[in-house]
Amino acid sequence: MSVQYTPVIWNRNKILYDAVLLIAVALYLYVFIRFAPAFEDVTKPIDGATLRMRAFGSCAFLMLTVILCIGPLARLDRRFLPLLYNRRHFGVMTAGIAAVHANYVLGWYFNFSPTDKYVALLSSNTNYTQLLGFPFEAFGIAALLILFVLSATSHDFWLSFLGAPLWKTLHMLIYAAYVFVVLHVALGALQGPGDPIFTAIVAASVVLVCGLHFATGRMEASRDRSEETAKASLQDAGWVVAGEVGDIEDDCARVVTLDEGERVAIFKYDGKLSAVTNVCAHQNGPLGEGKVLWGCITCPWHGYQYNLADGRAPAPFTEKIPTYRLKLIGATILLDPNALPPGTHVDPIVIGTDA
Amino acid sequence: MSWRQTKAAPFFVGYLNAVPKPLVVFLSVFAVCFTSGLGLAALALSSTQNDPGNGGFQWGNRFEQTGILELRPYPVFRVPADGDTPARTYMLAGQGKRGVFDQAEANRAETVSLRGVPVSRGDLTMIQVGKIDAAAEDAPGFTPSIPVPLGRWKLTGEICDGKCYAGAMRPGRGLAHKACADLCLTGGIPPVFVSSGPVEGRNFFLMADREGNLLGDELDPLLALYIEVEGEIEQLDDLMVFKADLTTARVLK
Repeated sequence: MSVQYTPVIWNRNKILYDAVLLIAVALYLYVFIRFAPAFEDVTKPIDGATLRMRAFGSCAFLMLTVILCIGPLARLDRRFLPLLYNRRHFGVMTAGIAAVHANYVLGWYFNFSPTDKYVALLSSNTNYTQLLGFPFEAFGIAALLILFVLSATSHDFWLSFLGAPLWKTLHMLIYAAYVFVVLHVALGALQGPGDPIFTAIVAASVVLVCGLHFATGRMEASRDRSEETAKASLQDAGWVVAGEVGDIEDDCARVVTLDEGERVAIFKYDGKLSAVTNVCAHQNGPLGEGKVLWGCITCPWHGYQYNLADGRAPAPFTEKIPTYRLKLIGATILLDPNALPPGTHVDPIVIGTDA
Repeated sequence: MSWRQTKAAPFFVGYLNAVPKPLVVFLSVFAVCFTSGLGLAALALSSTQNDPGNGGFQWGNRFEQTGILELRPYPVFRVPADGDTPARTYMLAGQGKRGVFDQAEANRAETVSLRGVPVSRGDLTMIQVGKIDAAAEDAPGFTPSIPVPLGRWKLTGEICDGKCYAGAMRPGRGLAHKACADLCLTGGIPPVFVSSGPVEGRNFFLMADREGNLLGDELDPLLALYIEVEGEIEQLDDLMVFKADLTTARVLK
């Protein structure tokens, strides 16, 4: 959390994260370009430029695959959440690696010609009506442009400037970028002479990304259908039953889903209960999967914090989230499903005293 | 472990430098697996790349011969027989992705001295032209042989640009290389048909249209694909010319 915009607010965890990333990427490129060619079964070596464009291109593809796996992995198992914390650096690095790949392609396949290389890139193959022989470079360009836009707007300044809903929608374009990259590979490199290892790695990557998202989607759907879904109270019209006090661990939350699909996090702390939206104002993180730290709800994604009673970030921060009214009938929690405006104070319910 | 938060579960807050110990262990294992996984993927992908063949520039074997320039329909260089060496016909290309039409037109049917660098792949040789000079006055003249018709054939294979396929790029064929091949052909590099089956022992054919004229944009949709096409074949010394009837072309895959 920060009240001023600086390029990167470094801390030890970000440095470690980036260090691991840099080491892994450097190792990949070194092995691909320097080490593995010694084991190639070739009559004459593959051109250095081709080797480098393949190294950077495949590296960007695998990095993008891992990036897209982090989200569902963190939903399925909380231990992966730290990978999400600095994912934007992962994305920016991927865009950089993809740009180097594009630069090698431009400087090799589209160079040495009387035609300007950028003109050549767009004009040399225009068979857009055929599948085999389709100008797959167009998909690569589209993916690279998306990666550039996402990298350029990854900073919290843009998140604040555009607002969380628009920013989040914009950054969902990462899926479009992945589709474009897969098409770029499928209609380009995969159409070459049979390479079972490359084909298998591309197929496994796509299956992994799709499989994890499918599994996460099923989990989320089953959550909404299960006991997490609030049911209308028979005693109090307009209120919904949101579970039992005993179901909630101290300093944690129970997440309930309303009819409209909205999720509400009900936190238990210091013998009290408070309810807020489950959606963090920063990047829509699931607040109900966070904890109460230093008397504040703490988002599991980036650690954004909110006061329990009013949903406001502690000063000097300014974020605020909707709150909800609660009441207790015995040990049963009732929730008013109508969200109050962000930052509205609601007196916490003290456990043990029926409202 | 699931998404559900519990009091006892370790909780990571990025801006706090202290990371819960169970997470340190988990993340360390992940970091090692991630790094080594990328390394292994690089090894697997790089070491199993397809052989681009033995084509390449013959930098140590500069070409300098006297002969006649012709357009058939692309520029070719006809060299007379010399002792045991039979007459040869070489395809020509310029620097980079450029042809040598201007030079060939200017010196058409003239006896010239041509210097350049051969780009060879098996029995396919393309000369990257460096310089064309008028032949020495005492250079013997000769009359190149006329094309020998070999009849109509149906060939399967791939249309490539002759220079990259000969080895200017390794690899220099396939769909990943299609845009480059297109650019080469637009620049005047002769198109070559690489057949999956030989004709008179040859698998490489200089291409022309069915009338023997230059090919144009009609080649684009077929370039770099595995196709089947019929046409007349002629032999110019050691070079085969395939006058492809593109109306019979069919993409096989």
